[in-house]
Amino acid sequence: MSTQDVSAGSQGSDTTAAEPPSFDITRAHPARVYDYWLGGKDNYEADREAAEQFIEAMPNILAGVRANRAFLRRAVQYLAGEAGIRQFLDIGTGLPTAENTHEVAQAIAPESRIVYVDNDPIVLAHARALLTSTAEGATAYVDADARDTGKILEAAVEVLDFSQPIAVMSLLVLQYVPDEDHPEEIISRLMDAVPSGSYLTISDTTTEIDTERVTNGTARLNARLGPARSTLRTRAQIAGYFDGLELVEPGIVPMPQWRTLPNPLVVPVFAGMGRKP
Amino acid sequence: MNPEPGGGLPDEGTTVGSAAARMMLGSQLRRFREAAGITPEAAGWHIRSSRSKISRMENGRVGFKDRDVRDLLELYGVADSQVTSAMLALAGQAQTQEWWAQFGDILPSWFEPYLGLEASASRIRSFDLQFVHGLFQTEAYARAVTALGLRGISPDEIDRRVAVRVKRQELLTAAKPPRVWSVMDEAALRRPVGGVRVMQAQLRWLAEVAQLPNVTLQVVPFQAGGHDAAGGSFTILRFSEPAVPDVVYIEQLTGALYLEKPAATDHYLDIMNRLSATSLSPAESIPFFADLSRQLQT
Repeated sequence: MSTQDVSAGSQGSDTTAAEPPSFDITRAHPARVYDYWLGGKDNYEADREAAEQFIEAMPNILAGVRANRAFLRRAVQYLAGEAGIRQFLDIGTGLPTAENTHEVAQAIAPESRIVYVDNDPIVLAHARALLTSTAEGATAYVDADARDTGKILEAAVEVLDFSQPIAVMSLLVLQYVPDEDHPEEIISRLMDAVPSGSYLTISDTTTEIDTERVTNGTARLNARLGPARSTLRTRAQIAGYFDGLELVEPGIVPMPQWRTLPNPLVVPVFAGMGRKP
Repeated sequence: MNPEPGGGLPDEGTTVGSAAARMMLGSQLRRFREAAGITPEAAGWHIRSSRSKISRMENGRVGFKDRDVRDLLELYGVADSQVTSAMLALAGQAQTQEWWAQFGDILPSWFEPYLGLEASASRIRSFDLQFVHGLFQTEAYARAVTALGLRGISPDEIDRRVAVRVKRQELLTAAKPPRVWSVMDEAALRRPVGGVRVMQAQLRWLAEVAQLPNVTLQVVPFQAGGHDAAGGSFTILRFSEPAVPDVVYIEQLTGALYLEKPAATDHYLDIMNRLSATSLSPAESIPFFADLSRQLQT
């Protein structure tokens, strides 16, 4: 079986807990808002309204989310190609779209193994149904909050070999971890667990590019989101995620400029990749 | 996402199924008409027809004559020759004769549009409460289901109805097959339509067809108790063209509903998502089919 559910059994049985945020379609949800911006159809009225509110403040968001997908493609192509990585830990899967992590990686190396992590039951249902692996490789889905690194690592061990390099990815996800939950500690716990030669890839929204519009758009979005809130970060905070790692050229740069041809697109997102020495 | 009229037209050279082509053409024509501030009555008059013809065209329920498309675009003030030729190319695709035309005599008029939509869809999600979905029925099961609904039907007609169902399934292994993601209630799997042997073979086939890379099957076991879709079966058809909305198909005894307004389809997407998130995972569902097949034996 090349596709597995490493947290099987946790599904469907627990009816006493409060409903997960994605079950509430009367409030906007980050994964569904992002889906709408990408031109997807897995969204509801509240999501479309919140997404349009952001677009009104910052029309560039549409180019921005596409730039994030393009960054994912370039990053995974670099990791699976030049860096020779065969194991991926993708935190914050989101709703499937075109060219998901395993598709890009397995197009280069079919034996690649990818663990997708998300805590949203509807995102997970989509991932289990749609993000299916090549026969040679593996995809697995972990039901965990990004903050619960213990649970993530415990489940990932079943699919990934922690004596070999692993690419940890977190694309446009850390903005949904508030400061009081210390996103930098989440990243350092994950990077402590992976061996030398592993990589960290991050894209994260920032206050330092197109400040007025992104601040306005984010405030409008946050007013319509369910429990999750988006936090914009400084370049220094984003650079802090890479402490102790060797940055891959060209370092931490505006996302559309990472390892590609000169791109005039202005998107309030920094991106970078680091290698664990 | 496509506020610009013309923004949802497919790239040159892309082929879409006839049903999707009709829907795309229809929704574009509606946008152009609304942007020009022209009433359906006036548009109908302009093409020597009626308001209801315009409405059927805009809903993608009928074919399009090139002459009508040209006349309407002219009325709506669309002068861009690229847009006009893209629209006419779509009209050509919308007229493609489909394989089921030869079965027109036995297909209910309310079902035929579904075949077009199914063949054009990029993703098909279904919830099946009572019977196994048509795309996954074995021939023997399909034969038994067909005979159920129609007393006094001739053996020849049963054969032809079964032939349609089997032909439909070629979609699953087509060159660019749709992603089919079905959630089925345990009730649909336990009801031994056609007898125990037919049902066992049907369950074994489900375990097999679930291995196709574009097929995902999930079971809602009785154990799960009540669920969100106790009301009945439905199918959500999705099309890769951004301008074409999802269509929810609900079959009734003597007709069918086709819903495409977001106010209605949002509700069904919500229920489908809840079902997918709370039923057995795809990996857990495959052994479930085999276990059930063995249980039926005893």
